[in-house]
Amino acid sequence: MVMPTSQIFTPWVIDDIHTKADLGRYRLRGFSTFQKVTHFDDLTFLSTGLTRFPLEGYKEKCETRTVIGALNPETPLVLDTPIYISGMSYGALSANAKTALGKAATMVGTASCTGDGGMLQSERDASDKLIYQLLPSRYGFNPSHLIQAQAVEIVVGQGAKPGTGGMLMGVKVLDHIAEMRDLPTGIDQRSPARHPDWLGPDDLAVKIEQLREATDWKVPIHVKLGACRVTDDVKLAAKAGADAIVIDSMVAGTGASPEVLLDHSGIPTVPAIVMAREALRELGLYGKVSLIASGGIRSGADAAKALALGADAVAIGISALVALNCNREIPESDFVSEVGVPAGQCSNCQTGKCPVGIATQNPELTARLDPDEGADRVANFINSMTMEMTLLTRSLGKSNVHSLEPEDLAALTLEASAMAQVPLVGTGKVFGT
Amino acid sequence: MTYTLDADELSIREINKRLKQLSRTGAEIHIVNSRARHNIIVGLLDRCKITVQGSVGYYSASVSDGPEVIIEGNAGWALGENLMSGTVSVTRDAGASLAAGMRGGSVYVGGSAGARAGISMKGGTLLVRGNTGFLTGFMMQEGRIIVLGDAGESVGDSMYEGTIYVAGNIGSLGSDAKEEEASEDDLIGVWQTLEDHGIDQRPAFKKIVSARRLYHFDSLERLEMSAV
Repeated sequence: MVMPTSQIFTPWVIDDIHTKADLGRYRLRGFSTFQKVTHFDDLTFLSTGLTRFPLEGYKEKCETRTVIGALNPETPLVLDTPIYISGMSYGALSANAKTALGKAATMVGTASCTGDGGMLQSERDASDKLIYQLLPSRYGFNPSHLIQAQAVEIVVGQGAKPGTGGMLMGVKVLDHIAEMRDLPTGIDQRSPARHPDWLGPDDLAVKIEQLREATDWKVPIHVKLGACRVTDDVKLAAKAGADAIVIDSMVAGTGASPEVLLDHSGIPTVPAIVMAREALRELGLYGKVSLIASGGIRSGADAAKALALGADAVAIGISALVALNCNREIPESDFVSEVGVPAGQCSNCQTGKCPVGIATQNPELTARLDPDEGADRVANFINSMTMEMTLLTRSLGKSNVHSLEPEDLAALTLEASAMAQVPLVGTGKVFGT
Repeated sequence: MTYTLDADELSIREINKRLKQLSRTGAEIHIVNSRARHNIIVGLLDRCKITVQGSVGYYSASVSDGPEVIIEGNAGWALGENLMSGTVSVTRDAGASLAAGMRGGSVYVGGSAGARAGISMKGGTLLVRGNTGFLTGFMMQEGRIIVLGDAGESVGDSMYEGTIYVAGNIGSLGSDAKEEEASEDDLIGVWQTLEDHGIDQRPAFKKIVSARRLYHFDSLERLEMSAV
């Protein structure tokens, strides 16, 4: 049998080589990795039968209240659902998108997060619970904004491009974005990868104390890590005094990343959660230091599986944007002519040409997103996810989503069994132990 | 009204809490027995005058907006980090990452500073009377760094904007940094800053700025190009 094309030099590999031969540099794009990796679809819940009985799926109470960072601060972050909106910058996203996300978070009793580039006042006004990020760039970082935050998140790395800083192409660095970041207008911004004032975990402990002093020890301090050497990184972050650790996996989203990092660095969400859980357990801090998982959380099922594996909460990025109409043809848009691909295949956030007004600073495009309508859609989506979680939880006979545990899961593939440390269906065996 | 806080009798948390309370009254505060402890004077958002009689550790006079701080001793890493406005001065030496991410106000070091002085600086003036270590002004965005002594390797590496003036020798220029001639106006401005700090020297300065060769990618893909 003669195969029609090379399985190694596929048409898209050939096109990639052609493009780089023209370009002379690495390629950039948004969205998330295109690699096929083990994910939550490779796990299934073992709902009730005769060994245990279910709760009524549509009626009985099922708790979703989530407390993050109760270890140290006076006022931990209390959410009505274990799903919050992760950090995405004003700059990568439009003001309308950021405002919509903040408003949606408030509507469902959860939090949104500033992202790089400083705090957008309209998001602050819309979001009752705003997580304020401290990134290596320190763009727009302001102690007066810091003290308004309900939590602070120190970003060590992000899953889409661990080990490097943020990126914002010049087309998005318009005057108002440049001013907030103290940058020249129009530059291709490549943010620092290292924090300017601390380097290792010993310094991080002092930095965390500094942020506690600045916030009067009131709010949780999160540390966000790109999921790579998870076991060691989680231990070091916890030892440095983090109240919560965010593990952002290789599946996580981005507004602009080098493709080589998107697809060739980091590890998937499922093993990242398990490694983080075990690292905290080894320190005796599991259940004390909160664990937040992000990267490819698309549904209540994904969120429920993340909680069952050991996370206390999940953060969503791309899913929230999709709920805002990312990759959906709307009356004002024409994806093919505007970004060269049909709706559903767009990952061109870095170009600032977002046809639905989310990942752009172009006023004509941002006007296509109504923040109130957008907020309704995102709130509906998070409510749907929460309902899916509680439906699954009740089917497992449990009345609190935080009672989900690894024992509730089985793996559909050998790889998932090894990575999730749960039995492969039909075998009763956990592989890779 | 002048208050004295004895750091031997207070935790860091108590010191900063008292400072925040007292600073709201515009009081003048003395801190004694600081013993190089970390995080002394953090998060002050009011105008006030604080004198520390002794050395401080990491992050002294940091993430603050408005205070006038004098440290009679040495300072550890990240003195004046993310200062928004106000003045910070230390009579002797400062550690690494001096004035990291500073956005406004002024920071003065009477002795020398460690590596990465003025890293990610976004505004204000940093004046070092002695020498600075490697990567002075690394990824600097705005503001002014003045070094009366020598600056180490890779001065101004990856800087976006802002200006670095060095009176002594430069170890080497960093990536995308270039030296250009200081104008008369530049020198008058720098000398004025020296005079403000009681320094009567009028030395010549090397002026380092961004070469701006790294502002943009050299090439763009078709879709990226059509977006510009």
